[in-house]
Amino acid sequence: MHAKQFLLIVLSLVAIACGAWLSYQLVAPSAKPGTATILPQPLALPEFVLVDQHGDAVRPDDFRGRWSLVFFGFTHCPDVCPLTLQVLADARRQLAAAGESPLPTIVLVSVDPERDTPEVIGNYVDYFDTDAIGVTGDLAEVQKLTSGLGVFFQRAARDDDNYAVDHSAVVLLIDPDARFRALFSAPHEAGNFVNDLPLILSGA
Amino acid sequence: MSRPVLAVLLLACLGACLSDRPPLLIDGLEITAPLPGNDMSAGYFELTNTTAAPLVITRVASPDFERVMMHETTIDDGIARMRMLEEITVPAGQTVRFSRGGKHLMLSGAGPTADLVTLQFYAGDALLLSISTRTGMED
Repeated sequence: MHAKQFLLIVLSLVAIACGAWLSYQLVAPSAKPGTATILPQPLALPEFVLVDQHGDAVRPDDFRGRWSLVFFGFTHCPDVCPLTLQVLADARRQLAAAGESPLPTIVLVSVDPERDTPEVIGNYVDYFDTDAIGVTGDLAEVQKLTSGLGVFFQRAARDDDNYAVDHSAVVLLIDPDARFRALFSAPHEAGNFVNDLPLILSGA
Repeated sequence: MSRPVLAVLLLACLGACLSDRPPLLIDGLEITAPLPGNDMSAGYFELTNTTAAPLVITRVASPDFERVMMHETTIDDGIARMRMLEEITVPAGQTVRFSRGGKHLMLSGAGPTADLVTLQFYAGDALLLSISTRTGMED
């Protein structure tokens, strides 16, 4: 075989290999989380005592044994909160349909505990996902939780009872050791959770 | 009939047809059904100004809700804020969108007939548009 022919064959093989690699990168699912921000070191939840929709106490240890997607919002939010909860519910359904296990639990922590009683928040989260948990309680305890996680919320100035609450739009991932493991920044899409959660849960 | 005369007549007819168009058109109207635990709905749609001048929507009303407000959601530095809009300007010939995560109507105090909702868009005292839709469905 001439040297030129040999070189041509080698270059052809290299080109084919490069094309295959490029095609895989473009078509194959992301091999690592593409959207989630994973904390370098998981962060233990701060101490707090709140209640769920059944009136049962919720403490950091109650997050043990499961993965949780935690969102801070309020039921009188007409737009971003139902939008986010719908995205989380859709993502959970897609993960279930794909046979993923374990499935994360959706948790809504109210930043408006004055209006969000256990019954109110329970009916609200149940609309999106019957396995979801609504958490509310004393405002000071909510602040303990949010400040320990770097989550912001503040009641917007308004004199009547139609006030809004400004709040972080982030979704936090809590691991089965009750530690803050990762976060998803807004805007939220179901596909981001569907792609990233299996990778995070498998330790990728 | 000569061609120039015919052209003028056609243009006049076109102008007459255009002048009969409503000044404000609405598309994709969706009023969400109130969620359990509250009496609040959100409204999403696209408004198109068919006129040659800006239209300033100063008020949206509904006989089916105690209160209707125009709001806008913004997310800046990860913080979601909802602020009331006193008015919305729809530029001449253009479309303004009310969509999830952005501008939207907040309708509170749902009445017993809130499964069929009528919305009325005003510019000052002038009613520009009145339209009805069933909640939970997109037109």
